Amino acid sequence: MKLSPDQTVMFDAWGVPINATIFFTWVVMALLTTISLLITRNLRPDVPPNRWRTTLEVIVQGIQGQIEEIAQGPSRYLLYYAGTLFLFVAASNFLLVVPGFAPPTSSLSTTTALALSVLIAVPLFGVTNRGLAGYLKTYIQPSFIMLPFNIIAEFSRGISLAIRLYGNIMSGAVIAAILLTVVPFFFPVVMDVLGLLTGMIQAYIFAVLATVYISSATGSPPPPQSEKETP
Amino acid sequence: MSIDWITVAAQIANFLVLVWLLKRFLYRPILDGIDAREAEITNRMTEAVQAKDDANTVKEAYHDKARALHVAQSEMSETIRKSAEEKRDALLVEARQRMEREQASWQTHLDDEARKYATQMHRAGAGALLSLTRKALMDLADETLEDRMAHHLVHQLRPIADDLKKAAGDGPAAVVSSHDRLPVSAQDSLAAELKGLFPDVTADFKTDPTQAPGLILRIGGAELAWTVESYIDGLEALIGDRLGNSTGKKAQANGD
Repeated sequence: MKLSPDQTVMFDAWGVPINATIFFTWVVMALLTTISLLITRNLRPDVPPNRWRTTLEVIVQGIQGQIEEIAQGPSRYLLYYAGTLFLFVAASNFLLVVPGFAPPTSSLSTTTALALSVLIAVPLFGVTNRGLAGYLKTYIQPSFIMLPFNIIAEFSRGISLAIRLYGNIMSGAVIAAILLTVVPFFFPVVMDVLGLLTGMIQAYIFAVLATVYISSATGSPPPPQSEKETP
Repeated sequence: MSIDWITVAAQIANFLVLVWLLKRFLYRPILDGIDAREAEITNRMTEAVQAKDDANTVKEAYHDKARALHVAQSEMSETIRKSAEEKRDALLVEARQRMEREQASWQTHLDDEARKYATQMHRAGAGALLSLTRKALMDLADETLEDRMAHHLVHQLRPIADDLKKAAGDGPAAVVSSHDRLPVSAQDSLAAELKGLFPDVTADFKTDPTQAPGLILRIGGAELAWTVESYIDGLEALIGDRLGNSTGKKAQANGD
């Protein structure tokens, strides 16, 4: 039993073996891009939106609303990043029900890649928003002693993100596989339905946590308290 | 379970590509479309507000025009009413005048008719009276009416002889005219009487078919008539007095 789709090689491209993780990632990317392209290719402001465009608008505006609620303000770049995280993880987990499809998120490599991208995105957004000095200053807040702890916290965020996503998705797939061998009917179906729910929740949690981390790095520091207010 | 770092690098690259693809084909078109639609809605709402303001302006202008028209209509109605009243008064006056004229004309016509009727009645009555009287005198007294009328004229001349002399002046002749020719005996007796009263005057007897039956004596400028018409006129005056008195008494009795 293969626990990770990394071990399954789908085909070789110019001598490079393409495993199932990368292949199904491309499938998800192609699916998301194609759907977006089909729906948004003839957008005109003077034409009333159809139901598909409305659905996409609801999704995008829902993501934007969540991000604005967390980040306390509009940010398109954060929307592009966190929204893509959510859509990619959600689509990958949703396609779990398709026979033969191995969700890329059940690969530790994928979740590690996403966690690393968050780890890279946090300082990038922070530096872009606050400047290099302003961002580095956050590591010695509230005092210089907190520097190692802040660095550890920064890395532990990525590790926890990666392990959380991988563990939930891979465990769902593994449990379904085990139950399929034990009880061939009913339970795998129930587990797959449950997997859809947990997959959507994981996608939401992953995107929200990434938004929270990036927002904490880009948000303006709290105003200094006056001496009178200090107990 | 292990981490394939090549796959990790590929997935990071895939994810970045996916971010760009979704930004290019999903987020930007959707958000730009939403912004454009919001701008379009804002523009349309602004235009709607502007159109509403314009409509309100037009509405106010229309109300002003309506009020002005109403005032003009009231003034015009008042003018027309006054004109109609003046026209009505003029028509009433004209109708009244026409009615008065017609009434006067009708009254004149009525009077003419009454006069004609009275004349006819007068003549018919006179003729009847004359025939009856003549027949009665002839049958009862073997006398003619003309003789008796000449005799009566003579009796009437005596009391007023002095007045007639004064009125006659120096007239050379006395003309006695009658409807029919007087009998010779009547002419002789009347001529003798006139000779006695007016010695210088000669009597001349004439007939006039248009004259009422009876005698008319003309001496100079004086004239004395004793005809059936004068008799009937007196008779009518007497009857009129009697009828007037009885009608007045009856009206007074009804009033009481």
